Amino acid sequence: MNDPQPVQNSLKSGRWIRSTCKMCLHSCGTVIHITDDGIINKIEGDPENLSNNGKLCPKGNAAIMRHYDPNRFKQPMKRTNPKKGPSEDPMWEPISWDEAFEITAREIKKSLDEDPRKILPSLEDFQKFNIWVWPLAFGNFNCFQSGGTMCGGAYHPTNGYIHSAFAAANDVKHCNYWINNGTGDGFSSHLHAAAQSNWVANARIDRGMRCVTVEPRLSTSAAKSEEWVPIRPATDRHFALGLCHVMVEENLVDYKFLRKDTNAPYLVGPDGYFVRNAEEKIYVWDSVENRAKLWDDPTIQKLALEGTFEVDGKECKPAFQRFRDILDECSPEEMEKITTVPAETTRRIAREFFAAADIGATIEIDGRTMPLRPAAYNYYRGAQGRKMGFQANHAFKMVNFLVGNIDAPGGHMGVTLDDQWVDKSHVAPGENGMMMPNPHQLGPVPPFAYPPNTYHLMDYFPVGVHPPHLNLEVFLNPGKYGVEFEPDVMVICHSNPLWAMQGPREGWFKFMASMRFIVVSDIIPTETTQWADIILPSHGALESWNMTMIEPPHTEGMCMRQPATEPLHDTKSEEDIFYELSERLGILEAYNGVLNMAQGLDHKPELMLEPDKKYTDKEIADRKGRLWNDKGIDWYKDNCAVTERRSDKWYRPWEGMRLHFYIEDMLHQRDQLKKKMEEHNVPFRNEWHWDDYSPLPTTRLDPVHEEPEEYNLFGMFFKDIQLNFGESIGNPWINDIVYRDPVHIALMLNPKTAASEGLKAGDIVRVESPYGKIYGRIGTSEGWHPDALGVSNSLSRVNIQHKGVPHAGGHFNDMLPYDLRNTDAVTGQPETVCRVKITKLDDWPAGLKEGLTVYDLVDDIQKPGKGGRH
Amino acid sequence: MARYGMVFDLRRCIGCNACVIGCKQENSLPDGMFFTRTLSEEYGVYPAVGRVYIPTLCNQCEDAPCEKVCPSGATYTRDDGIVMVDADLCIGCSSCAVACPYDQRSQVDKDLFEHGLFGTDELTPFEKDGYQRFVPGTIVKCDFCSERVDAGLDPACVVTCPTDARIFGDLDDPDSKVSELIRERNGKPPMPELKTRPKVFYID
Amino acid sequence: MAMQDTKIIGDSFEVGARFQRYWDTSMANAFFCGELGAGLFFVSFLFDFVPGMVTGMLITGIFKSFFHITHMGVPMKSWRAILRPDRSWISRGLIGIVFYLLFGTLHSLNMTFDLQASLGLGTAAGNLIQFFAACAALVVMTYQGFAMSHSTAISLWNTLLMPLSSLLYALTGGAVLTILMGWNSLFAMTTSGQKHLTSETLLLLLISAIVVASILYSANNRSRGGKVSVRLLLTGSFRQPFWYLVTGAGFILPALLLWVAPGNFIAVLVAATGILVGYYSYRVLIFKSGVYEPMSGFR
Repeated sequence: MNDPQPVQNSLKSGRWIRSTCKMCLHSCGTVIHITDDGIINKIEGDPENLSNNGKLCPKGNAAIMRHYDPNRFKQPMKRTNPKKGPSEDPMWEPISWDEAFEITAREIKKSLDEDPRKILPSLEDFQKFNIWVWPLAFGNFNCFQSGGTMCGGAYHPTNGYIHSAFAAANDVKHCNYWINNGTGDGFSSHLHAAAQSNWVANARIDRGMRCVTVEPRLSTSAAKSEEWVPIRPATDRHFALGLCHVMVEENLVDYKFLRKDTNAPYLVGPDGYFVRNAEEKIYVWDSVENRAKLWDDPTIQKLALEGTFEVDGKECKPAFQRFRDILDECSPEEMEKITTVPAETTRRIAREFFAAADIGATIEIDGRTMPLRPAAYNYYRGAQGRKMGFQANHAFKMVNFLVGNIDAPGGHMGVTLDDQWVDKSHVAPGENGMMMPNPHQLGPVPPFAYPPNTYHLMDYFPVGVHPPHLNLEVFLNPGKYGVEFEPDVMVICHSNPLWAMQGPREGWFKFMASMRFIVVSDIIPTETTQWADIILPSHGALESWNMTMIEPPHTEGMCMRQPATEPLHDTKSEEDIFYELSERLGILEAYNGVLNMAQGLDHKPELMLEPDKKYTDKEIADRKGRLWNDKGIDWYKDNCAVTERRSDKWYRPWEGMRLHFYIEDMLHQRDQLKKKMEEHNVPFRNEWHWDDYSPLPTTRLDPVHEEPEEYNLFGMFFKDIQLNFGESIGNPWINDIVYRDPVHIALMLNPKTAASEGLKAGDIVRVESPYGKIYGRIGTSEGWHPDALGVSNSLSRVNIQHKGVPHAGGHFNDMLPYDLRNTDAVTGQPETVCRVKITKLDDWPAGLKEGLTVYDLVDDIQKPGKGGRH
Repeated sequence: MARYGMVFDLRRCIGCNACVIGCKQENSLPDGMFFTRTLSEEYGVYPAVGRVYIPTLCNQCEDAPCEKVCPSGATYTRDDGIVMVDADLCIGCSSCAVACPYDQRSQVDKDLFEHGLFGTDELTPFEKDGYQRFVPGTIVKCDFCSERVDAGLDPACVVTCPTDARIFGDLDDPDSKVSELIRERNGKPPMPELKTRPKVFYID
Repeated sequence: MAMQDTKIIGDSFEVGARFQRYWDTSMANAFFCGELGAGLFFVSFLFDFVPGMVTGMLITGIFKSFFHITHMGVPMKSWRAILRPDRSWISRGLIGIVFYLLFGTLHSLNMTFDLQASLGLGTAAGNLIQFFAACAALVVMTYQGFAMSHSTAISLWNTLLMPLSSLLYALTGGAVLTILMGWNSLFAMTTSGQKHLTSETLLLLLISAIVVASILYSANNRSRGGKVSVRLLLTGSFRQPFWYLVTGAGFILPALLLWVAPGNFIAVLVAATGILVGYYSYRVLIFKSGVYEPMSGFR
């Protein structure tokens, strides 16, 4: 205490700079403290930034340990061990950047010259779309990255249809009744977790917002909610349809909204298409005059939502009636047989939800009077990651449609991915008074082609996000899909597909082994870097520039990242790396062209990149900053550019247009694809699941419910905030908290289930699905649905060269299917729940007895003494 | 003179442990050491089951058992109520650690700095810089980030808490947020039967 | 809340019993040596048996100090432990040790060289020295038990039976060592004294066993943490050393031997070994099975 210098890091002599977190993909504002000696010793949430609302999650707090991780790649390296395998030491040899670029460009060029489709990219730095779009510079639409399936393969396209936005969130500022289904939004995960959980906590405590969480596990969200509704895994769509049934049956519906703001009154013919006149205008039914009129007929007195009518000799029904017909078979009693949620619970929640929605109420915001609908149904990956993912998403949206809360204050809101410039609008008018659907939120998709131009068959998912798991399906079934090229080069950047992809590892290992050349740009060793031929080490997030804003609920603006220190090692920015490669590959001009378009720089011509110039991370960031608000990067150093989202962009930005209650486009997409497949005689067209294309959600069961009886439980996977969006385990501070949390240290079963399986906590088991297997140790908790086996993301890693990563008994994703049967034919979303059976073992299998396992670490923490050290 | 205390809002806390890592960052805590922990407890039987997350740290007891047993006079209470350990006086007998009913004290083991947070037998620059504050062998604990408090800032765990579940303030000021919360939501100290008179209160 | 068995959680972030992990083997060694030495001193003192007194002081002075300093985080500053006798049993004990060694040494010298006569101090001074030495030895035998009993944190320890058990163990150990050391000297002439001491040792053993049982009984009834400690000792991970060493070797075996063959040196030697093994195991286990109460009161 005699020492006059402070000992606490935030008070030591040094300087604070403003920056942006990159411990997950969301862009939380931070302030970083750097000592006079240039050591980064404290990172806090930027107190002024609404992107994080002044807060920082545990991952953000652990960023320093990523920066100073001694396992980081310190210079370019080439592999000297020609043998590749999951546990083969690559025997890295340091080389110069010049040599690394030369080898990489030479090897990529071979494939580029031969057939650019032979290149498989996995570019997944979600804060740098400028890298993500690089393959477009040579017309390559392949995708080896897991992003699409691991987040919202069906979620994003559905949001594109319903909100013309990328994601969705409930309006926390006014919501009073919040249903969370298969998501941690507001409690533990997803959009800007720190800020969102702050707002939700304030709403809960200060305003008394009621929360209901529907999930197979007592998640954080469930634990904090007023009510936990345990549900059998993979049946959420049926729960939502049960709610809709009650609401429609008991008239708990905002009919005014449906009539005025949606296409629910549009008449649908027997073929499922809207009934149109010769000019392609859609008919509706005026129930006062009892005759059909065109949708924009000014004489319409009251639009019929229900009934069966005849127009031009064709029997037709309003879209709403079509939904009613489906709901006839969705009584809560029927749905209970599937979901196990008691019918009475469903009925009660439907009534509570409707009552809270306060139909008829209005609110004035910024001089605009709007419906106030303070009840909303929110959901994410856990509920939507189904084989019939699009229908699942649509079913959840329907609960919101019925109370008229879409984009209404207090309701369920579209959230954009990136606004690009201040006055950019994300909605546009479409045909027949409807909003333009915008399912391709991540950019253009490849046009139809047969033979396919992509290895993961993206040619046949006109609505989807990339289904990368199909890479394996195609690889393991040579010839079946008519692919005329064999990928032989992988370009990977800040992506770990070998960890994240679903399907058995053995298959993926063969896939990797078939590559002629793999280059990886990353900062630390992962399951994927293990297979690389060349490592191009990139700067860490505390050493580089960036400008982005990812999926901000409630806010808008740009978050600037700036280096807090000089690079610790001989690394380069991702921009430097990909520009250098572009130049050496002769695609620089094309790349700049792609960037001008994809980044929206063409909106302000003075910002457009010159064709033959290479740009630094700082220059790209500067341009994105200027694109947003005409301010250069220096302005962002001193100013926070994040503000509350303007109400005209946030609330009902589509005012005057009709929303897609009935997604007729499904049928267009289906029939166009069918026609093209017929024309091209695509051999697997009869295997395509055309039923998945439905303008309304149905009750058809996902195939996970039709697996052999012996697989008697539902295996499911989960994360919490410490593991939000990957990139966590191996960080000692994250390990510290994860492996002390009882939820994350065992394969979880309800105690009654365990007993009926003859198991108890601590038993070593093998878990098998029809597709793969894992090993682990059983834990029990009353907070689990009796049909579920829960596996935390913390138990998913395998032995790699990063010494801080304890291996577990295999990755849950090994047990997931990767085939067409389990892939949504609309969006490419694969099933993310599997059926499993459990076998008790006497001891760990060979391979799990050696090295540091998760279970060793856990035992060390739980024993007497000072355990749990790294 | 203020008398500092903290309130934990159990309805707000989501058990994310951002506080734990924020504290490790702020105080350069060595491996395996925590000045604050957020515990969880599950209760009930399926389906009527719940889980509560319980932040814990040094309760800065008015009647601190740790202070009473300290044979060297290292543990003392500041005028503002923060219980401190003077590393220059501490002999590392750990009597205080076994006297603290809340297990909120840790000993700076002599080997604690050898392996490093990554277990590589090397220290990161962050560790090299931060560990200088510790006297090996002595006992350390949460002091409400007393240096930050002296500088007019909230403790590190408080500023990072995503849900504002940690509220810091002056217990003697009836108008402070902590006093108001304790009054209006019936704040309870941990393990009151021990009569340690904690300056930490839980509300739910 | 369901009253299930309280979970033992180590350093997991759960509500449950956390292991005490600050006072470990070196502290147990120090406690054992301190108490045993003082016990030997005290019993030998009663018999005016100087070799026993000196050995006792050596055990305390050398081994206890060594193990304490090993335990201490900052050994160079250990002297500071003496500063707060007003509130700390550690301070009081340290002062006790100084007095015990000082007056014990004076008393031994006095016994050997009859200092009080040669210095012409009179019996009063000798008596005062004796008195201080005996009192200080009592303090050394018990203060560690008091220090533990003052911890409200750990239910197993939080009882006045703790210093009592320290005292009983110290006296038992001291008595049996005195018998052995005095086998051919002290008791060569007075076999009745040996007989008495053996019977008293047996009695002490019996009471000691009852006190240990009472400690467990009261801990089990006091709190959730106490229950956990008792579970750990009787049926949990420490059951083997507890039953075999503390109970079997420490009480049953020596009691039988001292009862059946009190005059047999080998039997008494084995009994003494058993007593010391049991005593030492008790000291180690009582630390190891000490757990903090599960967090409560928050709801």
